[in-house]
Amino acid sequence: MTSISTSADAVAAPPAIRVRRQTVSGVIALSLFVLVIVALSTMPWWAKTGTIRMVLELCCYIVAAQMWNMLAGYAGLVSVGQQAFIGVTGYAVFVLAQTFGINPFLAIPLALVVPALVAVPCYLLLHRLDGPYFAIGTWVVAEVFRLVASNLGWVNAGAGMSLAVMREYSGFERNVAMSVLCALMILVSIGGSYLFLSSRYGLALIAMRDNPVAASSQGINVGRLRFMIYVAAAVGCGFAGAVYFMAQLRINPPSAFDPMWSNVAIFIVMIGGIGTIEGVLIGALIYFVADRFFGEYGASYFVVLGVMTVLVALYARTGIWGMISKYWDAPWFPIRRHLLVERKDRA
Amino acid sequence: MYGQQENNPRECLLQARNVSKSFGAVRVLHDVGFDVYRGEVLGILGPNGAGKTTLFNLISGDLKPSGGEIRLGEVRLRGEPPHRRCRMGIGRTYQIPRPYSGMTTFENLLVASVFGGGRSEAESYDFCAQVLRDCELFEKANTLAGSLTLLDRKRLELARALASSPQLLLLDEIAGGLTDEESKDLVALISRIRDRGVTIVWIEHVLHALMAVADRLLVLNFGEKIAEGEPKTVIADPEVMRVYMGIEA
Repeated sequence: MTSISTSADAVAAPPAIRVRRQTVSGVIALSLFVLVIVALSTMPWWAKTGTIRMVLELCCYIVAAQMWNMLAGYAGLVSVGQQAFIGVTGYAVFVLAQTFGINPFLAIPLALVVPALVAVPCYLLLHRLDGPYFAIGTWVVAEVFRLVASNLGWVNAGAGMSLAVMREYSGFERNVAMSVLCALMILVSIGGSYLFLSSRYGLALIAMRDNPVAASSQGINVGRLRFMIYVAAAVGCGFAGAVYFMAQLRINPPSAFDPMWSNVAIFIVMIGGIGTIEGVLIGALIYFVADRFFGEYGASYFVVLGVMTVLVALYARTGIWGMISKYWDAPWFPIRRHLLVERKDRA
Repeated sequence: MYGQQENNPRECLLQARNVSKSFGAVRVLHDVGFDVYRGEVLGILGPNGAGKTTLFNLISGDLKPSGGEIRLGEVRLRGEPPHRRCRMGIGRTYQIPRPYSGMTTFENLLVASVFGGGRSEAESYDFCAQVLRDCELFEKANTLAGSLTLLDRKRLELARALASSPQLLLLDEIAGGLTDEESKDLVALISRIRDRGVTIVWIEHVLHALMAVADRLLVLNFGEKIAEGEPKTVIADPEVMRVYMGIEA
């Protein structure tokens, strides 16, 4: 490689470089992540059924929030209609297991094909819309799904469906399945997002988030990347919906297509820190604790959550993780590439 | 690596023939035609609103022409989107720098090298480090692009375009807003890039910067070409003096 800087540079070979990807905080977080996955998958042996159900709910929130984070925080697609995919996949599990007699635990991976298939025409319909119009469009699509489910006799219309086949399994067997599914959800949503963001596609995604016009002129197919993220987020949300409603044993249109799913995801991401995985985990824990302690206050509790979201949006846009990382540069999921010059004595 | 190609001085890299662009009833470019030869620097001059950036947008694929044709080498450009044109060898900078603010300077270049230049990430590390050295940004490799000074942002625009290994580099008012000293530095850098054999089309209002590097000039006014040729001849053209400098011959 020839330098064009100065003649002196041409004579002296440039120092060797290396790129550092991992950090100490990242290694510690990765170890803790592995421990969490092991702890989740072994819950039946150390946790009560009530605890497992609570953890499952938390995992579902984390997945829904991380998918919204990928959409809004990276792809610039602000959706308020992710409940469409949560509900559709939940229904798909019930239909496969209850109507077609497929093993309910096998029905979950099979049902994940449905949100992927549904997301394609939805995206083709919505991708021409921009900003707030896109957001409104996603909400309209979710409402259409709710109305269709409410009037479709095949899924028992407004009365909803029950997952009676789950009676064939003992409480312990169900707990084992739920625990493994919790571990899988976190592994796929958080681990998968981290792998994706660390890859070359992560570079493209962050470039697209920061400046889509420049990203396009640097060789990134912005349209295709947005489409990929939309479909992946639909499948991720679908996974959360499938597991959540399987644990509930009942599904009906108002709960399946409840806008609360999107509201909670937005709250978690905004409070924790948009565009970061760490923010999602912090936000989900805050929401979960707040929900446990203040949920009984009903409407006034939601008003407090809403006010918190508005205050963060106005005064601390980077969320709690953004404020932390300003003073403490120790990412749990490091994706940065640090260029370092090799010292001569090491070479 | 960018540049380093063997250039036949009369081999045409970019051809524009009767290129027109209208936005509704507003005609922005009308029947503009010119050639860009391999290894040369073509400067484009013209008052504000002359259609210079629109011409760049047509070449880079950000806009589609209303008429005429543009060829890159032997290939006629039809409806290819910007990302494909970048991979075909057209690199560009923007008048107002568009850095990826949340990424470091080095990562900004990695994006261009991996997606525009078609290298693997591992292959890109050394290459991008070298481009950073060439563009005098190596010391700021790990600085967030959003916190760079204007001069460094302009250098980053240039470095990022180079990282995609372009055959043709489109520079849009890259010296705009810089001090005389800063624009001198930038001119020196562009000259070095030209010396490596990269073909450059440069829109610029800072005339002395353009005159220092350009082999030929093309002047646009109200979407039409009014002059093209040797810089000294073009700048002395009475019509160019009237339109661009407001001097009546």
